[in-house]
Amino acid sequence: MPPLLHLQDLSKRFGQVVIADGLNLEVEPGAAVGIVGPNGAGKTSLFGLISGDLRPDHGAVRFGGRTINRLDGAARCRAGIGRTYQVPRPFEGLTVFENVLLAAQQGAGAKKNASYALAGQALFRARLSAEANRSAASLGLLQRKRLEVARALASRPRLLLLDEVAGGLTDPEVRELVEIVRAANADGVAIVWIEHVVRALMATVDRLVCLAGGRFIADGTPTDVLASPAVREVYLGTAMDLEVPA
Amino acid sequence: MSTTVTDATVPPLAPTTASSTLRVVRASRLPNWLTPILAAAGLGLLAFLPAFAPQSETALFVNVFVLLTMALMWNLLAGYAGMVSIGQQAFVGLGAYGVLIFAKSGMEPVASLPLAAIAAAIIALPVSLLVFRLRGGYFAIATWVVADLAMQVIDSISAVGGGTGENVPGLSSLSPAAFGRVTYFAALAVVALALAASYGLLRSRLGLVLAAVRDDEVGARSAGARVMRARRIVFVVAALGCGAAGALLAVSQLQVQPASVFNVQWSAEMIFATLIGGIGTLEGPILGTVIFFVLQQNLANDGAWYLIIFGSLAVLIAIWAPKGIFGLIDRRFAISLFPLGHRVEHLSRPASAPPAPVAANPTSSRGGAVGAAGPPA
Ligand SMILES: Nc1ncnc2c1ncn2[C@@H]1O[C@H](COP(=O)(O)OP(=O)(O)OP(=O)(O)O)[C@@H](O)[C@H]1O
Ligand SMILES: [Mg+2]
Repeated sequence: MPPLLHLQDLSKRFGQVVIADGLNLEVEPGAAVGIVGPNGAGKTSLFGLISGDLRPDHGAVRFGGRTINRLDGAARCRAGIGRTYQVPRPFEGLTVFENVLLAAQQGAGAKKNASYALAGQALFRARLSAEANRSAASLGLLQRKRLEVARALASRPRLLLLDEVAGGLTDPEVRELVEIVRAANADGVAIVWIEHVVRALMATVDRLVCLAGGRFIADGTPTDVLASPAVREVYLGTAMDLEVPA
Repeated sequence: MSTTVTDATVPPLAPTTASSTLRVVRASRLPNWLTPILAAAGLGLLAFLPAFAPQSETALFVNVFVLLTMALMWNLLAGYAGMVSIGQQAFVGLGAYGVLIFAKSGMEPVASLPLAAIAAAIIALPVSLLVFRLRGGYFAIATWVVADLAMQVIDSISAVGGGTGENVPGLSSLSPAAFGRVTYFAALAVVALALAASYGLLRSRLGLVLAAVRDDEVGARSAGARVMRARRIVFVVAALGCGAAGALLAVSQLQVQPASVFNVQWSAEMIFATLIGGIGTLEGPILGTVIFFVLQQNLANDGAWYLIIFGSLAVLIAIWAPKGIFGLIDRRFAISLFPLGHRVEHLSRPASAPPAPVAANPTSSRGGAVGAAGPPA
């Protein structure tokens, strides 16, 4: 069986800034992978390359065994790649339910009652059921992040790309978010999670990669990666807490 | 308000919430029977108009219906799909010439009306491939160029009368009264369909896509929305409606002339009616069209004043009420005759319990209402 996601020799630069320098990565179906890396390393851009917001200069993005370089973001979502945005992108003129309904109808291709049920289910999983009829514009940060997750889940993804959904949240909020993500993963959805909040990753993923300078400088179990000299070096002098929780 | 339209009662959210059932209703603050009743009453009233109104009056109503059809289409384009076209007269003209061409080949002009509209819509497809490469102001100008090009092409074809145009054959045999009735009912049918189609389209899945794209195109794409496809459908539908409006012009005026049916004034009028009435609502173009004709009927004799007042009104509205006159009404009273929003009801409470309190949602442009949703489990 081919890997679910396969990045082959992926390269991208913005002028002088090298985002990806021949990246290779394989993610198996149902896996849970964390991505760490210093600010500006290109983590969000990597998601853009996978989800179709950005085009690579070189290399291929393969999903479920086929090359999807030519597919736009909508087609990739329909193919099973759901993503969240680091800075949430709610549709502010719509209600929370309608935000999620869009993904159920477009991303998952569900119609009528099936789409309502799917959207309701995604809201329930993201613990937003009680906010269903609120305007998305009225949501606070935590709820906006959950809305991102709910919307991605409603598209019925096989791969869920999470971009710093735990950033800026309190401890109990992070714990709840971890539960939401773990539940999706337990259902067979593969997770790739970019996160600076390492304790959230530690509780969720069994594999961690570190992106720096356009390359993956470490790949392995979370404990090994966080302990590796290469990773400690790129974080040297930064505020990020890389202590492995006991 | 307990009689909301039930679109769906769906199974429990998840196994853990077996007691909770989710129901989705499409409703506004007004009782849901009001819109169908008003629509039926309005349609019924208009259907009887020719029985007691003089023909000059029904002829005026034909013009009202033509402009309202165009305004509804421009509202779909610019108000919902973000495409500011100033070249819709291309499809008005093509619809008009469609009637001429079909009539010349022996068809009943009124019977050829749907065909002429469809022809305009078919031509809109390749046009969309061209103009969709451009955005914003460039898109607007491209549509105008296309309209001008269409006029030049028709202008040069002597088989359809070249620059002077031609009379539409096949209608002159009718008595003036019968002719008046035929054109009136054709126009009424077109405008009723245009309104029903607009509402149906906005309530459909496509309508939700348009609303999402209006807020955040990147986000909508990442949720699977095919943005180009949605825009293309709206562009073709708008061409269909404007084509039908042009076909009505050909039928009611009994003649077509390039400089008249391809006139940019059609775009100016549909834009004016939409903007003063309220862009991005279905009530807006209706209100705007009525205002347009009331002004026109009362000012047309005053020559230049007519244009000055129209122009100042447009400027005042643009500055003080960007959502038009209906926008002001809606903000004050939160009434929507055409609710587009979805409201969720969690049916975990006893059936006899009062429904969730409903308040209009001021931030939702889709008439969606906010209610206190029950707990999920
Ligand atoms: N569209 C763009 N055009 C030019 N430069 C860009 C663009 N998008 C991102 N960059 C640059 O690329 C680099 C990587 O940005 P990116 O957002 O991918 O980093 P990141 O790893 O997600 O950072 P953070 O941890 O702060 O979220 C940054 O230097 C950024 O300024
Ligand atoms: Mg980032």
